[in-house]
Amino acid sequence: MKPELKRRLKSKEAVLFLIFVVIFVFMSILSPTRFLSLYNLQSMAYQLPEFGILALSMMIVIITGGINLSVTYTATLAMIIGGFAMSHMFAGGSSAGLSVLVGIILMLAGSLACGAFNGYVIAYIGVTPMLATLGAMTFFEGISLQVTRGGAISGFPIEFIKIGNTAVLGIPVPMIIFLFVLATVYLFLERSRMGATLYMIGSNPKVTRYSGINVRKNLFITYLIASLLAGIAGILMASRYNSAKESYGSSYLLQAVSAAVLGGTSIAGGEGKVIGTVIAVLIIQVISSGLNIIGLNRYLTNVVMGLILIVVLTINFLTREKQFRNN
Amino acid sequence: MKTKLLKIKELPIILILIVISIIISVANPAFMTLENFLDILKSNLVLAIMSMGMLMVMLTGGIDVSVSSVITAVAVITGYSLMHWSSNLLFTILVAVLSGTVMGLFNGLLIAKLKIPPIVATLGTMSVILGLVLYITNGTWMTGIPEKFIDFGRKKLITFPTGDGKALGIPIQFLFLLVAVLATWFILRKTVIGRGIYAIGGNRDSAERMGFKPDRIIIFVYAFEGFLIGLAAVAHTSIMRQVDPNAFLGFEMQVIAAVVLGGASVLGGYGSILGTLIGVSLFCVINNGLILMHIPTFWQKIVVGLIIIGSISIDMTQKKRTERNKTRVDVE
Repeated sequence: MKPELKRRLKSKEAVLFLIFVVIFVFMSILSPTRFLSLYNLQSMAYQLPEFGILALSMMIVIITGGINLSVTYTATLAMIIGGFAMSHMFAGGSSAGLSVLVGIILMLAGSLACGAFNGYVIAYIGVTPMLATLGAMTFFEGISLQVTRGGAISGFPIEFIKIGNTAVLGIPVPMIIFLFVLATVYLFLERSRMGATLYMIGSNPKVTRYSGINVRKNLFITYLIASLLAGIAGILMASRYNSAKESYGSSYLLQAVSAAVLGGTSIAGGEGKVIGTVIAVLIIQVISSGLNIIGLNRYLTNVVMGLILIVVLTINFLTREKQFRNN
Repeated sequence: MKTKLLKIKELPIILILIVISIIISVANPAFMTLENFLDILKSNLVLAIMSMGMLMVMLTGGIDVSVSSVITAVAVITGYSLMHWSSNLLFTILVAVLSGTVMGLFNGLLIAKLKIPPIVATLGTMSVILGLVLYITNGTWMTGIPEKFIDFGRKKLITFPTGDGKALGIPIQFLFLLVAVLATWFILRKTVIGRGIYAIGGNRDSAERMGFKPDRIIIFVYAFEGFLIGLAAVAHTSIMRQVDPNAFLGFEMQVIAAVVLGGASVLGGYGSILGTLIGVSLFCVINNGLILMHIPTFWQKIVVGLIIIGSISIDMTQKKRTERNKTRVDVE
């Protein structure tokens, strides 16, 4: 029992959690009245879910050895397709409830279609994920622009806007959705047979195939699931911003990759824990909100983000070296 | 002779380029004019120069998403140097090339010495460098480049007389592209480092056993890429005559897409200069053609995205077919 506890305390996730606590305390000391204010904590709780879900989506794909550069444009294309139908139906006299229902279903269906496109090109044609999703990113952006003509879609029923802007028992609805997604992704990746298969594919696709596993099908489903998550993030964003536009959340792309990697997911695939990604998401959110409150120039916030990514990876490298030498 | 021609591995993409060119020139005869070609050349020089560096990085199995922020930083430094230090051309090139190389060196050290995966390391430097540049310049344009430098940028290498009295010419910045291509060709084809680049991209461990030093080669590759970005920044500044810190947002994707269209593998070890140049041309011709064919800008992204995915898919299916044929030969 004791060595087990010791090992856990020394794990990557424990170190990461410690970093999170240190940063949280640091921010609280820097600006105790504003950082620890109920307002700020709540606004973080509204912002975090969409980013967190995108990071989890990215993580699932990275575990299989891929990457999804089209993740934010999947989210926005989905919200634009659904949002377009929703606002037109609502304006055309349909009831709010029906429009919202159709809108949400179309958003989820749209994201699944994006996932099927990526999954087919990657799993069945065999194009490297980075390139396939690079092309898909431009492609999805183009379709979105075609629908919106460069503007934003608005005129959603108030019921839809409530999803991203209300709280139940003091907990924001997006946060509840995020916790639900988090639990599902955890059960899927770390407690299910298919999850274990994804890790196998990520560490060695060839051996996985020779051990009788249908790699193509599993990869295809991976992109479907990851895109569905992007679609959920899209719903939250559209609802919170009260509109749909192709450029929403585009800064989340690199942050999602950063969160996954900071959280200990190996970019080469086969390694990564849900809890690590979640702690990394918390760290990034606290830093960006905290620096914003202190009034640091937003460009310098990017500098800090980049530096943290580099520093954490350097620490990872040094600890690995040390372990290697000790062994 | 005939079979030799068919064996050129760039053949499929050359054919795609020809077919697309024919389609565009049927739709708009203005495409097949010298004026348009010179226009394409001038507006895509920077992309072509940077694709040479990216090719080398991708040959080692790496990738660099920080290129757009590095060229922005170098352009800003170059602009500042021109306005405050000296408008001497050689000095300007030296400043640009040095600052580019230093930033590339930094990437190389992170990747080779700290073993940070290239995409992650360059993501980090991208956000650091771009953040600093935007903070310092506040995102505003730098104008007031000295006349002397602007005059240099207007020079033509060779001029062609035209009927209506206008003189068309190859822009002086073409020299930068020429230097970039020749230097890349020389390194890849004529030096041990070049052999090493292909070797570690193919199989890092065997390359190491053969006596190559992967760390040094990787540091060199990123530094050289920075050097080329320095050249590209000078060419860009002399063409645009001002520095816009937001001019290169998302440009890294264009560079990567062009190199990949040219047949380079993101897994490393595979790719050629000729292929890359054709890939860049294809990318430019498509963009130019969509404008000439009066296709609304919203459609352009859809078409470009589909062409990227389409041409790589065709390439993949062909590779699979040849591999299947190979195995059959082995069995028989």
